[in-house]
Amino acid sequence: MAVLSTRLSRWSLPMFVCALVNFLAAQGLMLAGMSWPTQPVSAPGTLAAVHLLVIGWLLLLMFGALFQFVPVITSRPLVSQSMALAALIALEIGLLGMVGGFFGIGTGSRALAMALPAGGAAVYLGVLIACWNIGVPLLRSRPLSLPGRMVLTGLAFLLLTVTLGLAFALALAVPALAPYLAPLLGGVGEHALAGLGGWFTLTAMGVSYKLLPMFMLAPEDRGITGDGVHILATVGFALAIGAGLARVWSAAEPLAVAQSSGYAAIALAVGIYLWDVVRIYRTRKRAVIELHNKAAVAAFGLLGLGTAVAIGFVMAGHLGAGAPVIVFLIVFGWLGGLGLTQLYKIVPFLTWLHRYGRSLGRGAVPRVQELVHERRSYPWFALYFLGVLLGATSVLSGHAAGLRPCVVLVTVATFGIVVEYWRAWRAHYVPLRPSEPAAPLLRPNQRG
Amino acid sequence: MSEPITLDVREELREGGEPLPRILRAVGGLAPGQALRLLATFEPLPLYAVLGRKGFDHRAVRHGEGDWEVLFSPQTPQAGPGSPAAPSATVSSTDGWPPPSTSLDNRGLEPPEPMIRILDALERLGPGQVLEALNERDPVFLYPELQARGAAIHTEKVGAGVRLLIRQRG
Repeated sequence: MAVLSTRLSRWSLPMFVCALVNFLAAQGLMLAGMSWPTQPVSAPGTLAAVHLLVIGWLLLLMFGALFQFVPVITSRPLVSQSMALAALIALEIGLLGMVGGFFGIGTGSRALAMALPAGGAAVYLGVLIACWNIGVPLLRSRPLSLPGRMVLTGLAFLLLTVTLGLAFALALAVPALAPYLAPLLGGVGEHALAGLGGWFTLTAMGVSYKLLPMFMLAPEDRGITGDGVHILATVGFALAIGAGLARVWSAAEPLAVAQSSGYAAIALAVGIYLWDVVRIYRTRKRAVIELHNKAAVAAFGLLGLGTAVAIGFVMAGHLGAGAPVIVFLIVFGWLGGLGLTQLYKIVPFLTWLHRYGRSLGRGAVPRVQELVHERRSYPWFALYFLGVLLGATSVLSGHAAGLRPCVVLVTVATFGIVVEYWRAWRAHYVPLRPSEPAAPLLRPNQRG
Repeated sequence: MSEPITLDVREELREGGEPLPRILRAVGGLAPGQALRLLATFEPLPLYAVLGRKGFDHRAVRHGEGDWEVLFSPQTPQAGPGSPAAPSATVSSTDGWPPPSTSLDNRGLEPPEPMIRILDALERLGPGQVLEALNERDPVFLYPELQARGAAIHTEKVGAGVRLLIRQRG
C-alpha cells in the first residue's frame, strides 16, 4: 500500500475566509446596482461581479476544499503546504487586478485596463501553482478512484478556462494584439462553459461522489453509472466547447451538430448524475442525516433546474438570451449552494480535528456535531435557496428588476451562514469542559 | 544526551497562578535533544497540543491525587531519506509485534467515529501492546495523531476496506 501521510491542510480555512469575503463583495456589487441585473451583461461591473464570484468565491472555495480532499482520496500529501499559500496570494492579488481592470476598461484608463491582463496573469500563475499542488498526488495515485479522476479532468478544463480568459484580457487591454485575439472574444460562452461546467461542475460531482456516501453511509462504489457520468460529461463539455470555439471561425454545419451533440451529452450526464445522487440518498444507512446533506438537496435541485432552463433556451435557439439566468442558477444555486452546505460540515470537522485531535482518547471531547447548532442554521439555508429560486423565477418570468430584492435575501442568508461557521470555529456552542483549550491554558482542573 | 530538566509548577498552580510562561521559557532553554520533566497538580492536556506543535512527545504518570509527572521529550524524526513526508507512525512490517490484544470493527461508522474509537482503545493499551481495527476507509486523519503519540501503524488493504495494526509505544 502507498505510503500514507495526510495532514490538515493549513491554508484551507484562510482560503474559505477569503472566498466568503469575495462572495459577499460580489453580492454587494449586485445590490449596489453596479452589475447585472441592473446593468447589461457585458457591463464592467457585471464582469467584475462574475469574476469575484467564480474566482474569488468558487475557485478559492474549491481549491481550499481540494487541498484537504485530494490527500484524503489519494493517501498522498500535497506537493507542499506553502504552495497552497502562494496560490491563495496570487489568486487574490490577481483577482483584485482583474476587478480594477474591468472598471478601467469602462473608464477608458489605459493604466487601469492593463491591470486586467496583469491580474489575469497572476490568476493564471495561482491556478498553475494550485494545479501542480493537487495534480501531482492525483497523477501519482494508482489506481485513482472515480472522484480523483473527475477532479483531474476538471483541472484540464480549468487550464483551458484560464488560458481563454487570459487571451480575452490581452485582446481587450492590448490594442496591438487585438487583431489576432479579438475573434476569440466570440468564445466567451465557451469560456464560461469550460469554467462553470467542465471545471466546477465536474469537480463538484467528483467531490460529492466521495463526501455524500461517506457521511450518509451509502455505497461509495458508483460502478458503471459513475463512470458513465464522468465520460459523458467529459465528452460533452469537450465537444460543446471545442465545436463552439471552432464556430467562431467557421460556419461549417458539422460544427453546429457537434456542438448540439455536446450539449445533449452534458444534459444526459447531469440527468444520470442527479438520478445517482437520489440513489445515494435512498440507499444510505443513516436514517437521520445532517443539515449539510439535507440542505444540499436544494443545490442538486437547482442544478437540475439550471440544466432544464438551459435545455429550454437551446431548443428555442437563443441560448445567449438565457445565459444570465442559467449562470445565476448554476453559480448561486448549484455551485454556491453546494459550497455553502458542504462548508457547514468541512468547517466544524477541521475545527474539531484542530482543537480536539490531540485530546482524543485522553479525556472528554465534544462530538463534531456539537460544534454546530442545526436548528439555528436551518433557516439561513432555507432563506438562501428561497432567494435564489425566487430570483431565477422572477428573471424567467420577465421581471429582471425583481432579482435585486431576492439578492438581498441571498446576502442576508449568506451572512447568517457565515456567522454560524464562525461560531463553529470558535466552539461557541460547545459547553466548556475541564480539558477545553479555550480556557486559560494551565488552570488546574478537577480531573487529576 | 543530557539529563531532563525538571520544572515543578505544583506550588504555583495551587496558588492559582498560570505557569505557562515559565514552562515555555524552560522549553526554550532546553538543549537539542533534551527533555523536560514537568511536575503538576493535574494532567496538563492542553499543554500536550502546545508542545506537540513544538515537536515534543509526552509521557504522563500519575503519582497520586493532584500529583502528576509528565516527561516532554523531543520527537525523533524517523522518516527515511527521499520520503520527507512519510510519517514515522507508518511501518511496513509488524515482525516482532505481539498478537493484537484488542480488536475493533469500525465498518459502518461515519467519520470521525473510527478515529475516536481507535484512539480511545489505544490510550487503554499497555506499552508495546497492539490493537487491530477493521475500517471501511483509510483513516487519513489518524496518522498525524498516532505519530504525535509515538504509536506505530501498519495498514493493509482487505477487500473493500483496510485492516490496521497499531502498536502502543513501548
